[in-house]
Amino acid sequence: MDALVILVPFLPLLAAISIGVGHFSGILNSEARENITADIATWAITLSCLMALALLGGDLLGKNQGFFSVGQWLGSDTLNIRLNFITTGLSVRLAALFSLLLAIISRFSINYLHREAGFYRFFFIFSLFAAAMMLLVLSANAVGTFVGWEVAGLCSYLLISYAYQRPIATYNATRVFITNRIGDAGFIGGIGLSYAWLDSVNWWQLNAAAEQLTIGEATGISLCFAVAAFAKSAQLPFTPWLARAMEGPAPSSAAFYGAAMVHSGVYLVCLLEPVFSKSPFSMAVLGLIGVLTMAYSFIVGQTQADIKSSLAFSSSGQLGLMFLACGLGFWQLASWHLCAHAIVRCWLLLTAPSLMQHVKRGGAKPRSVPVWLYMASAQHFWLDQIVDWALVKPVRGLAHDLSYFDDHIVDRVMGVPAPAMGTLSSLARAEEVIGAKLVNKADDFARGGGLVGKLTEWASAVVYWIEDRFVLRGIGRDAVHYGRQLGHLANKFEQIILRPRYLVLFVCITFLVAF
Amino acid sequence: MKILSLLITLPLAGALATGLIRNVSLAKKLVLVIAGLELLVSLAALQFFNADDGALQLIEKYPWIPSLKIEYLVGVDGISVLFLPMTALVTLMAMGASWHSVQPLSRLYFALLLMLEGVTIGVLSALDMMLFFLFWELTLPPLFFLIGLWGVGPKRRNAAIKYMLFMLFGGVPLLFAIIILAINHAAQINGTIPHDLTFSFPVLMETRLPDNLQQLVFFLLMTGFAVKAPIVPLHTWLPTVTMEGPAQIAAVLAGINLGVYGILRFAMPLAPTAAVECNWVLGILGAITLIYGALIALRQTNLRRLLAYASVSHVGLVIIGIASLNMQGIQGAIFQLVNFTLVAGSLMLVAGFLQQRLGSTEIIHLGGLARVMPQLTCCYFLFMLASMGMPGTNGFPAELLLVLGALLAHPSLGVTALAGAVLSAAYMLSFARSAFLGAIVQTDVRLSQDLLARELVILCIPVLLILGIGFFPNSVLKINQKTAEAWLSRLLDQPVMEGDELVMNLAPQ
Repeated sequence: MDALVILVPFLPLLAAISIGVGHFSGILNSEARENITADIATWAITLSCLMALALLGGDLLGKNQGFFSVGQWLGSDTLNIRLNFITTGLSVRLAALFSLLLAIISRFSINYLHREAGFYRFFFIFSLFAAAMMLLVLSANAVGTFVGWEVAGLCSYLLISYAYQRPIATYNATRVFITNRIGDAGFIGGIGLSYAWLDSVNWWQLNAAAEQLTIGEATGISLCFAVAAFAKSAQLPFTPWLARAMEGPAPSSAAFYGAAMVHSGVYLVCLLEPVFSKSPFSMAVLGLIGVLTMAYSFIVGQTQADIKSSLAFSSSGQLGLMFLACGLGFWQLASWHLCAHAIVRCWLLLTAPSLMQHVKRGGAKPRSVPVWLYMASAQHFWLDQIVDWALVKPVRGLAHDLSYFDDHIVDRVMGVPAPAMGTLSSLARAEEVIGAKLVNKADDFARGGGLVGKLTEWASAVVYWIEDRFVLRGIGRDAVHYGRQLGHLANKFEQIILRPRYLVLFVCITFLVAF
Repeated sequence: MKILSLLITLPLAGALATGLIRNVSLAKKLVLVIAGLELLVSLAALQFFNADDGALQLIEKYPWIPSLKIEYLVGVDGISVLFLPMTALVTLMAMGASWHSVQPLSRLYFALLLMLEGVTIGVLSALDMMLFFLFWELTLPPLFFLIGLWGVGPKRRNAAIKYMLFMLFGGVPLLFAIIILAINHAAQINGTIPHDLTFSFPVLMETRLPDNLQQLVFFLLMTGFAVKAPIVPLHTWLPTVTMEGPAQIAAVLAGINLGVYGILRFAMPLAPTAAVECNWVLGILGAITLIYGALIALRQTNLRRLLAYASVSHVGLVIIGIASLNMQGIQGAIFQLVNFTLVAGSLMLVAGFLQQRLGSTEIIHLGGLARVMPQLTCCYFLFMLASMGMPGTNGFPAELLLVLGALLAHPSLGVTALAGAVLSAAYMLSFARSAFLGAIVQTDVRLSQDLLARELVILCIPVLLILGIGFFPNSVLKINQKTAEAWLSRLLDQPVMEGDELVMNLAPQ
């Protein structure tokens, strides 16, 4: 019975590979092949769903061993990462539920995307996503879960930029992916800490050893995974990505942000229940972030002008409730809430495009609220702007400064100075004509400065300058003049150094060194 | 079994033969056959290599300059053996990519490319320090002409000179270090100078090096190799060469990272005490290179420059892995070096294809490529994802090992590596967004062609390897496991270092 578990992620992966290869090589193309593509994807996901249901049946009847290991995936020293799966409990329940919902969505998409230009692309990504999601929930080790986690994030990126000609879609996709990448860094950090302290990356060993961890270690591991969970489940401060992600076609929104992916954060936290329980601080963080996100999403959701954003914020609010339940220790409640929410939200997002026909005009009456609250809500509490100001802008500024530094200082100090001629295209053309025949004898092909030569030249120039300005002419007007210029330069340098981004950078470096 | 000598001489002989054939198309075919044969022979060498043995294998030894005790000594171990087929592969790919694009003096071009291949294999397999130095310096002439004569930028000659000067600057400390090592050997056995000199790497490994010389030798070797790696602030030749030189040569340069190989093979094992003592310097240098390269890559508006800085950033991560001095770090570093060939090399080739079609890789001349070149875009995205360390590609196991190794060695290094991973997604994706996605702005783009069959075949090989290694990373790790263990125990199990706090922290469990 346990061996069935391999097929659950493997069948959609096979479908993804065949659709991907088929479309890339031009076999699956044009409207005529739409049916076969849709059949491959839908059948694979449906079969995978049946396997997951069989597994669930086995679990309910108590026939499952609990684990199934295929073999070693990566081994280095004591690091032993296996390809292994969980075959009991919450993981199987969620696998069955998610694959059922995904199978339904897959069927729904066939008609929804009929004659769309990206039909094949959609089904390729969708099958890949189904495989990733099944791996995420079924893997028995942290690395396997991370693989699913990351590939699901990639699929989300690819489907948000489904209409890749629209700049806003691609911008949002990029932003969502990079936001999620911060969470992924937390996940990898968690894996690293588990391996460093417990010598294992298997979930059950991690949970079994949770009792032996000190509170500090448990807090470290659980906070790392909590960051990953918050990013994936759109909790504060990551919440705004969820509204950006609604750019994709409706079935993909239903699959990613209604049925499956957005819940993986809560799943991760539920999976690590013993580790989280060990650390009161992490529990408090879970609860606090949950409450804050709930309140935030409720207020912001009130002012959304389109149905999908409204659903997105309602989703993140519900997820906040689940995190709150986890933080308070109601793990069962959180997991049941997860299942129920997945079904409801999937249905809501699938019906969202046709909702306009069911709503009567002027149905809801506007409530009167303070203007500032309305503004704040409509602007998502400026969360994106705050992140831009606190993170994106400083990093960009730093990149800008460094790039200038690299081109104008490092390159000049280290390199041979470039010839005076610029990148004139006409000159470049002329060179193309002359080509490699070296007609131009006087070009700089055979002339070099040499680092030592340059250094000597500069040193002599500096010594000459000092000699000339200070020693020969005495302490005169020039000395004062140049002294002042030097002072101005020093001032300027200090101003640059005192910019907030450098202060923060220095503080970060100090922390890194102090560790 | 003289397979390594065959590997070195076959391309060199091929280069000579190309010079003798007047017919251009015949010469090109010959070159292709030689490069293909070379790949087969290098795969055979991989077959003969016994992965369960951590020592040097396939050794060949002949006296070369008896008066100075310089020998012709070649051999491979788990660190270097994988780079032999990789060098052959990337050369073959570069040849395919420049099949029609190199018009003037194409015979000379392919001959130089073959010579570069033979000399590179020589660098990778030489075990006599003088022989190594000879091959090391011999890589310069072909590269000088390849960059200077067939470059695509207007400042290609300047780029060629810049590259040459940088490498010559790096060569001097290397030579000094080699001479110090040889003289030290004579001094240690109380021998006379010309008679008891030795340049043989296995012998020098056994020779005790006094502590004061250790620091000096390590510093000199590191300087020499850091230029080629490149480590900040000695990296400025790489962006210039990628911008001005031909993209295929940039692919070879970024694909086969001899500098980091030198650090792994010679700098660390020859001065083990200094290497362990100074590994924090190495870690900091790696961290700076990683973040510095990534931040500058964020600002780039040209695909080739972006890839150059991305390479610099990745080198930083590899250096962090080496500095972490544990199995994960070192195996991850070797793994990532293998990935460079497949990922960085292929990305450069894609950039070359774009350059050839559009005459530029500047972002304002691109935009909306996905619509007209779906296959090229697919390939680019896959390589890009591999470079970001996406699971399913070969980048993931390597980066996972490197980050885990860094976290185990020093949490700060691990945090830096994680920050680098976030930044790598940022620079890669934001460039891809404006270059490949979005609407088509330029007419040139609208009229250009997707991948030709030849180009598709060239890119399909790395695509398959990237996915294959990504799914089965143990295939690579098994080859270098024993050697990595031996390498690590040489550094960490030194009698002098007992009781040192550093070793207690870094020793593998």
